[in-house]
Amino acid sequence: MPALFLNLLKLIFIGLIYLFLWQVARAISAHIGPVPRGRGRKSPAELVVVRSESLSGKRIPVTSATVLGRSEDADVVIDDPYASDFHVRVGLNEGDLVAQDLGSTNGTYVNGRRVTVPTTLAKGDALQIGKTILEVR
Amino acid sequence: MSRNAEAALLLLAAVIAAMGTALANFPRGVGVDAQVALTFIVFVAAFGAVHLSLRRWAPTANPYLFPIGALLVAVGLTEVYRLDADPLAALQRWWLLAGGLAAALVVFLLRDEGVTVLRRYRYLFLAASVALLLLPLLPETWPLHGAEVNGSRLWVRLELPLGDRSLSFQPGEIAKVLLTVFLASYLADRHTAMSAATRRIGRLQIPEPRHFGPIVIAAVASFGVLVYQRDLGASLLLFALFVGLVYMATGKAAYLVAGGGLAAAGGIIAFQVFDHVQRRVSSWLHPFDDFTGAGFQIAQSLFALGSGSLTGSGVALGRPDLIPAASTDFVFAAVAEEMGLAGSIAVIAAFALLIAAGMGIALRSRDLFRKFLAAGLTLVVGVQAILIIAGVIRLLPVTGITLPFMSYGGSSLLANMVILALLARISHGDRA
Repeated sequence: MPALFLNLLKLIFIGLIYLFLWQVARAISAHIGPVPRGRGRKSPAELVVVRSESLSGKRIPVTSATVLGRSEDADVVIDDPYASDFHVRVGLNEGDLVAQDLGSTNGTYVNGRRVTVPTTLAKGDALQIGKTILEVR
Repeated sequence: MSRNAEAALLLLAAVIAAMGTALANFPRGVGVDAQVALTFIVFVAAFGAVHLSLRRWAPTANPYLFPIGALLVAVGLTEVYRLDADPLAALQRWWLLAGGLAAALVVFLLRDEGVTVLRRYRYLFLAASVALLLLPLLPETWPLHGAEVNGSRLWVRLELPLGDRSLSFQPGEIAKVLLTVFLASYLADRHTAMSAATRRIGRLQIPEPRHFGPIVIAAVASFGVLVYQRDLGASLLLFALFVGLVYMATGKAAYLVAGGGLAAAGGIIAFQVFDHVQRRVSSWLHPFDDFTGAGFQIAQSLFALGSGSLTGSGVALGRPDLIPAASTDFVFAAVAEEMGLAGSIAVIAAFALLIAAGMGIALRSRDLFRKFLAAGLTLVVGVQAILIIAGVIRLLPVTGITLPFMSYGGSSLLANMVILALLARISHGDRA
């Protein structure tokens, strides 16, 4: 068999291998890109007051542990007669927003259910303190 | 949709394999014969079985794992066929078929609960892998006995009652998969305790001393493999797997430092005490001092690499048959000679893509066990490929382990196909 022909076949063979690798590499880049953190949360997390007598529309960005309550010393003052002085603490745990009730008198509710242990909040959840309702954005 | 891409790529790999067989035929004056057809049929059957089982039982699994494996097998089989068409290449085709069916079987068996079911049996896997590692030490007089090949005792031979035939396999290849399952399961339970730093030295955070216990045990076990089976490769692989996985699970560099220290100490002791380790190191540093003796293999490998040039001599047009063990450990040198720099870079790129895909699966898995298992299995394939390629190109001493998917070797091919099946199953349902 002529050497030229064999040489050509050799190049075609290597070419096919590279064609194969090119196809895989192109397709695989979508599989090995950056991993979405947590459950696709776009940090920073934010709480928005959706129902309140005086605070409606107030935005509360959560970047570190934040205590919500009626006391002047709370990080965010909730002007609500049914809220305790230090009512609930919200913070971030590995990118997830977590709410922990601080032994409040009237309790903390997530989506209408009373929570007593630290609870992870998802986007759109409703956090109720007294008569005030905040939504996770 | 991506399953169709998988099918197309697998078919392309089968075409590449068939073309490789044909290319090896031409210089011998043989044309496209039954061997070419046989290679194509075996590829289609083996990877077809895997593909169909994935379609049926794990439809969202990563579709690029098996195509990359298929490409590596295609390139490897081309060289094995060129070096030893009969019996090695013929046997390797049977093993590929067995590997494809084994992978399909794994996907089928794990169809409901996935790999999570393996977590429950971790001590069974630990016991099984220890037993498998000890099998080659069985005395020669038994029907099932150990055998020494090239000075390493890592083979088991089963004498069949039919005439004088015997079946050989390397139990260590299966043991490494089982051991990875055990480690992943163990670390998934223990990693919090193991990563809690209680003291620090400089910038290094040091966990509780007793958590280093398992590392020391792994070091001793690896050293035992080195002493009793005289197998440098398996010993290094086991230790790298263990230390690497503990590091990935805990994120504590202290384990890497401790592991590296133990490996260095073990290496120095082994070098002082064992002449087989000494020979490996001296033929690595000075291959041409004992050209006709210990340095012959590595020297021939260097000649092969050098004569390969950019695109190689062409399949079956070089002389890789001069390299001892060219169809097994040194298959990379054969590829470098006959497919050149282009071919060898393609092989390394394929391994890199496989490692990237495996680590991508680990990052995306939902729970820790699956994360660690995916990372560990990827580590096994990656470390093995790096160790032997580095040995062949004289970057490290030759460790004498197979190049995954490419070397001739039934147990190795089977084990690696099972590894791909496990990775594929882990990735099923994990689209983040």
